[in-house]
Amino acid sequence: MPRAPRPLRYLLLAFSLPLGVIAITIGGALGALALQLSATDLWAASRDPETLFALGLSLESSLLALLLALLAGIPTGYLLARCDFPGRALLETLLDLPMLTPPLVAGTGLLFLLGRHSLLGEGLARLGVELLFSPAGIVLAQSYVATSVIVRASQAAFARVDPAYAQIAWTLGLAPHWALLLVEIPMALPGLAAATILGWARALGEFGATLMLAGATRMHTETLPMAIYLNIATGDTERAVTCALLLLLLAFMLLITLRLLTRFRHASVPA
Amino acid sequence: MSGLQLEQISCRTLRQLQLQLADGEAVAILGPSGAGKSTLLKVIAGLLPHEGQVRLDGRPINQLPPHRRAIGYLSQELHLFPHLTVAQNLLLPLVFNYRGPESRRQRVQRMLALTQASHLATLKPPRLSGGERQRAALARCLVIQPCLLLLDEPFSALDHDTRSRLWHEFNHLRRHTRLTTLMVTHDPDEAQLLADRTLELRAGALQPQAEAAQPRGGCSVSCISGYSVRSPITF
Repeated sequence: MPRAPRPLRYLLLAFSLPLGVIAITIGGALGALALQLSATDLWAASRDPETLFALGLSLESSLLALLLALLAGIPTGYLLARCDFPGRALLETLLDLPMLTPPLVAGTGLLFLLGRHSLLGEGLARLGVELLFSPAGIVLAQSYVATSVIVRASQAAFARVDPAYAQIAWTLGLAPHWALLLVEIPMALPGLAAATILGWARALGEFGATLMLAGATRMHTETLPMAIYLNIATGDTERAVTCALLLLLLAFMLLITLRLLTRFRHASVPA
Repeated sequence: MSGLQLEQISCRTLRQLQLQLADGEAVAILGPSGAGKSTLLKVIAGLLPHEGQVRLDGRPINQLPPHRRAIGYLSQELHLFPHLTVAQNLLLPLVFNYRGPESRRQRVQRMLALTQASHLATLKPPRLSGGERQRAALARCLVIQPCLLLLDEPFSALDHDTRSRLWHEFNHLRRHTRLTTLMVTHDPDEAQLLADRTLELRAGALQPQAEAAQPRGGCSVSCISGYSVRSPITF
């Protein structure tokens, strides 16, 4: 690689300062967390029933939320990638809102939408559907925040696939739904898988909207982020740190998978 | 009445366009960029809305969706499916229309052999050269046994030597298949060599090209007309 000219080297050197600050801050926070507990304490805390409950509930609810978000988000992403219609810009802005508004705000909105005093909440209650302050509320909050991530990411994934591929598939005798299933979705698959991972990560770490919709009740609506909140509040640092490290581990695994998928996508998409 | 008839075709760039192709005839359409050459092919393939009547072998196909028209359409960019091997690209259209895995496999092998692409069967499109992609895409077009072949500047992205070789091979293929073909091109030499008749698309209307109107040797109308026309393709 040719050596950069001297002024550029100085500029790059100057830019490496903020990079170092950012990296040290993140590394420092992770290190500080990891050093809070000895390996023995960590092992003991990770086998604690409350920690295991929080881990199990987090995985179950986030996977269910992910499924719901995929069912809603992928068709929406496809529609936005392929169709132009009046009011589209307004609709896209609306769909982006959950990504930009604080989850607490989203949770408050959903609370009023589904609360017993609302029309919808009253109707659901009559049908015996109890969403609020239950694990169902967790799933609702998580799928709400994950859906907008999945909509945007899957829209980008489908937009990368030239619609001419589907048209060619039609001329080859494939009905549009088969062209979608056998050509467009496989071609968008690396992007859709990345959307899935991003959506799952978002659901797994969801806290604010969950707090509003499901509340923070030990061993009932206690996801990993909620366990951190509850245990820090009551001074049980060991358990809080263990839950935080578990979340970090999951996030790390998801990031590695995402990186591998990104590499695969770059290798598979034709120029 | 066999072959292709276009009656009063109008859309964004085409105006009251008329065209007739006899069964087994190859017609080339020349014209400047933006004249509507590719649009015309897309209209026939059913990919663009239009006014007027498209008839194939005497029956109107306006109401048929693209997947029911049995028209082979080779786009300029070829659009081989990059996630599938060449053989899988050919198998995909047969999955719903051709019975029996063994007969499907044999048909794919036959088409690959016909386009001299057998050695590419296990490769994925991003690993193919320009000429190899061309062969694979042509084989995929032919595998569905089309009644009509539409070629949108199929050889334009190739170097001179590869293009000349493929022209020769395509002529040979046409003699073998007796397939009615409509192609658009920028290249008068290509039109002269591959087509029985050349037309020019100007201002949305077709006009005959006087100097290219003569059938030439190799793959002329007279050569083709010796066969029993309008067979479901026997290749």
